[in-house]
Amino acid sequence: MSSFFDRFFGGRPTGSKDEAKSRLKTVLVHDQVGLTPAQMEGMKLELCSVIARYADIDKDHVELRLERINNRLAVVSSFPVRRVLSRPAAI
Amino acid sequence: MSECIVITSGKGGVGKTTTTANLGVALALMGKKVAVVDADIGLRNLDLILGLENRIVYDLVNVIEGECRLKQALIKDKRVETLYLLPAAQTRDKNAVSPDGMKKLVAEMKKEFDYVLIDCPAGIEQGFKNSIAGADRALIVTTPEVSAIRDADRIIGLVEAAELPEPNLIINRFRAKLVQRGEMMNKEDILEILAIPLLGLIPDHEDIIITANRGAPAAFDEKSVVGEAYRRIARRVTGEKDVPYVALEEPDNFWSVFKRWIGLAPTREASQ
Repeated sequence: MSSFFDRFFGGRPTGSKDEAKSRLKTVLVHDQVGLTPAQMEGMKLELCSVIARYADIDKDHVELRLERINNRLAVVSSFPVRRVLSRPAAI
Repeated sequence: MSECIVITSGKGGVGKTTTTANLGVALALMGKKVAVVDADIGLRNLDLILGLENRIVYDLVNVIEGECRLKQALIKDKRVETLYLLPAAQTRDKNAVSPDGMKKLVAEMKKEFDYVLIDCPAGIEQGFKNSIAGADRALIVTTPEVSAIRDADRIIGLVEAAELPEPNLIINRFRAKLVQRGEMMNKEDILEILAIPLLGLIPDHEDIIITANRGAPAAFDEKSVVGEAYRRIARRVTGEKDVPYVALEEPDNFWSVFKRWIGLAPTREASQ
């Protein structure tokens, strides 16, 4: 819905309900899957150590969460890269 | 054909007891023979909401333990002839009842009644297991709040694990104005997350407090908008199709129409 005011003032800020909805979706996926926070942390650390062989990553800002995308469970992650290693460590 | 329906939510304080009482009244007003059962052993409240607290002699635990006959424990409502209450025990705890005991009780009650409504206690433990043991289906009560919806999702999973059919949802304490401002999840948001069919939407209304004070559920009051919402839920429970939802907003006046026209307020359809 675009209104008179939206057009002039660039849209109203979205209400808190969108935040409620997205937080709920995240927490429900985790509730339903039943992976413990410790298991999620373990997955994150293991993935970090694999990626670290190829790139210098910012381990403090790694994100890893479960999401439901098109009705399928997905592991969604982000590993911020500082630089790619010129000579990746041997596997 | 008679049916046992459990009213449950996971979270406490979302309106299970109020819903059980009003649905019981509304079904009885339709001429159905209804028993409402308070399964919240030790935290008896359905009697108070129905205004029948002074007439309790025996309770559910007495019946299950064989200390009295079912007929002795049932309290007949004097306002609508076909409504009966089976109160919870107040001085016992939930372990006084087992799922098997409840199953036998419900089977006996279904011979007498068209509808047996079970007011389930909060939580997912013994009291919940007892309450769903004899039920043919479940109604999940939630409010548009993150905590209530999360718990409702958990309960939906447990209901399905217990091999009951897909439950139906009642959204309670709906505040149309907050929804219009985008500060409360709307019907579609909640249904998208919980993914079960909606049975009804109850506006957040002072009638609920007032009728609880008086022990006369809103469903008795022909003029009450909340009462009407419950009466329509009762019609849907009996299988009636296409019962419209009650209007959840204030009637239009000059300013509301003007504000909508200039775009200050969302359109009506957007809000429900």
